Amino acid sequence: MTVLGYLANGLVFSSIIVLGSIGLSLVYSIADFANFAHGDTMTIGAYTALVTFGAVGGLGGAVLGLPYGFFLALVVGIAAAAVVAVATEKLIYEPLDIDSIGLLITSIGIAFIYRAVIQIQFGSDFTRFDIRSLRPIEALVPYGVRVTLHDVAIVGSAVVLVVGLHVLLQYTDLGRKMRAMADNPDLARVSGIRTKRVKLWTWVIGAGLAGAGGVFLGLFNQLAPRMGFNLLLVIFAAVILGGIGSVYGAMAGGFLIGMINQLTPFFSSVVEALPIWPGWLATLLENLITIEYANAIAFVIMVAVLLVRPNGIAGEAAT
Amino acid sequence: MPRDTTDLADRRTLLKLTGGAGLVALSGCLSTTDDGGDGSDGDDGSDGDDGSDGDDGSDGDDGSDGDDSTEAYEIGMVDSLTGSLSAFGERNQRGVELALSRVNDVGIDGRELALAVEDSESENQGGIAAAQKLVNQDGVPFLIGAVGSGVSLAIYESVVEGTDVVQLSQNSTGLNLTDFPGLLRMSPSGRSQSLALSNIISEDGYDEVAITYVNNDYGQSLTDAFVDAYEGEVVYNSPHDQEQQSYSSVVSEMNSSGADAWLFITYQAEFATMVNEVFSSGYEAQFYGADSVSGDNVLENTPEGSIDGMKIVVPSAPVEEENYQSFAESFEAEYDRQPTSWAAYAYDCVINAALAIQAADEFTGAALQETVRRVSGPEGETVTSFEAASEILADGGGPDDVDYQGVSGPIDFDENGDPVGFLQVLEVQEHEYEGIDFVEG
Repeated sequence: MTVLGYLANGLVFSSIIVLGSIGLSLVYSIADFANFAHGDTMTIGAYTALVTFGAVGGLGGAVLGLPYGFFLALVVGIAAAAVVAVATEKLIYEPLDIDSIGLLITSIGIAFIYRAVIQIQFGSDFTRFDIRSLRPIEALVPYGVRVTLHDVAIVGSAVVLVVGLHVLLQYTDLGRKMRAMADNPDLARVSGIRTKRVKLWTWVIGAGLAGAGGVFLGLFNQLAPRMGFNLLLVIFAAVILGGIGSVYGAMAGGFLIGMINQLTPFFSSVVEALPIWPGWLATLLENLITIEYANAIAFVIMVAVLLVRPNGIAGEAAT
Repeated sequence: MPRDTTDLADRRTLLKLTGGAGLVALSGCLSTTDDGGDGSDGDDGSDGDDGSDGDDGSDGDDGSDGDDSTEAYEIGMVDSLTGSLSAFGERNQRGVELALSRVNDVGIDGRELALAVEDSESENQGGIAAAQKLVNQDGVPFLIGAVGSGVSLAIYESVVEGTDVVQLSQNSTGLNLTDFPGLLRMSPSGRSQSLALSNIISEDGYDEVAITYVNNDYGQSLTDAFVDAYEGEVVYNSPHDQEQQSYSSVVSEMNSSGADAWLFITYQAEFATMVNEVFSSGYEAQFYGADSVSGDNVLENTPEGSIDGMKIVVPSAPVEEENYQSFAESFEAEYDRQPTSWAAYAYDCVINAALAIQAADEFTGAALQETVRRVSGPEGETVTSFEAASEILADGGGPDDVDYQGVSGPIDFDENGDPVGFLQVLEVQEHEYEGIDFVEG
């Protein structure tokens, strides 16, 4: 496999992580706590889409190997994730009225509840969307790039959502209010912004993006009650690497972590090819830089970046 | 400026908390690596003594000699109801329910058999907690458990070892369980699978093989046994972690290794992900697999034709035997699906336990230790159902007068607590498993 091939794989995997990490970072910057239920919000989106897609079917045509019904299911999945998150905020987080540490702990409990509900409904076994798997795009195979049309759809949809969020944050009234609130909630409130409403919208957008990430994760891999939770650690790494609370940082962090994860086989072949001296160092590196430790390598790089920039890639700039 | 510093402090606290919470979340995963000399073992051991006190407490059971007690005999089971091995847990529970209804139709000296099931979450810590509850609080003298080999071993070392409690694992096939004669199991050791796989791959004419295995006790031990036995060259041999969201690195490295035969020693979910990635990357190879990669969930969740020609060795029930067929018939009537051998193992665990209880003088671990191997051992009259075996025992027969032939095989535990097993070679044809051969383990 060529470097291009690994980069392509990395791009697909990063797209999913980016969708997850943006939502997490957004909620952190405005609702002001690290939401551990974020991974399971992704799972909710994925399973809602599964049920919807099962109910509506293909709806005739298909784009990029994906039936129209899947896109409808994607929208319903996003909506369901948003509704569940808003309901949780209204019913649990808001009435609790505790500090961000308390909320963090609460959200771990919420994560278990989400997962348990899904497990009761769907069992603990894995499943997939009823969409025919595709072979790699023939035209790209000679370049060593082995991606399917589905992968293209994942990257494309992620780009649309990310650009959409950028436009929303920079050019709309709501976006300006959100940025104001992330900067200084008290000042925002004093200047007449209805902070509660903005907070709700933040939940809608953050959880919606997580829902989309979950649906794509299900398409990319498979659906299982633990799918989101298993990815949560990587998402947190991405968010912290990017600079927590910063949406653009989360994008960069998610992209980097996903890339490093998928590029590890390339790194390991580079290490094997390089003439490293002395010999014991070469052996050590060859043993350490293997796909077995892909996540560990990503985390080491994260720590290294944080040593240089303690506030993450996006540094001081909030939102 | 002051705002900035608080902001910074917030971040720092958050980083700490995130790390801490992450560690907590991970600690469960970490413990899946087998740690034999766990420091808490000593304490657990003494807890175990308390457990046997509990047994003494249930002296009322002695009253059963008087045949007037109607309280059920309660035994325990640790099963993977959730977690990565929950598919096995579901299969086990079907077999267990069927076995319980068989036993309780007849009864054990007029009493019922009750089974307290606890969840191991497919992990060592969960398994130990479940076993501690059953053994130390409920005081069960007979413990069926667990699915994962690491979990079975963890339970044995932390809870059961040093007590009289009988532990019978329903599904563990890890090789190192053989080293613990006190830990019985119903499913045959994976060593026989590794040997069979190496023979099959050699016979098929492949002298190079690429292996990927799940990064735990089970995967490691089966792979080691395979590498020892295989005559050809192992050109790629790499572990992978469970429950990752992508294995494309693994399959692309296997492809780069140049081997035409790929061996997978992993679990269904992981294997299904890999197959989908192999398919969507357009790689071609001859697949081989251990029993843990087979399952309807794999067929349902992989593209049609993507694993055709794959060969899998599975511990198998003697499917041509009459008692298995009657088991399969009632299983299908009950659950509307074919039984798996994992259900058959769990079924036999319960029947074997029930017979051991009936043959024993009293309902204690020490007494059951005496009978558990003998009721299904090679001596005595060959019987194929609980009812027939129970009749012999009720007529005054001892444990050596009965040789229960399980639906999963002849059982016949050897001195290491391993059963005589049958292996079946399956080939995937038109996206269905077809048995093509039998091998005796």
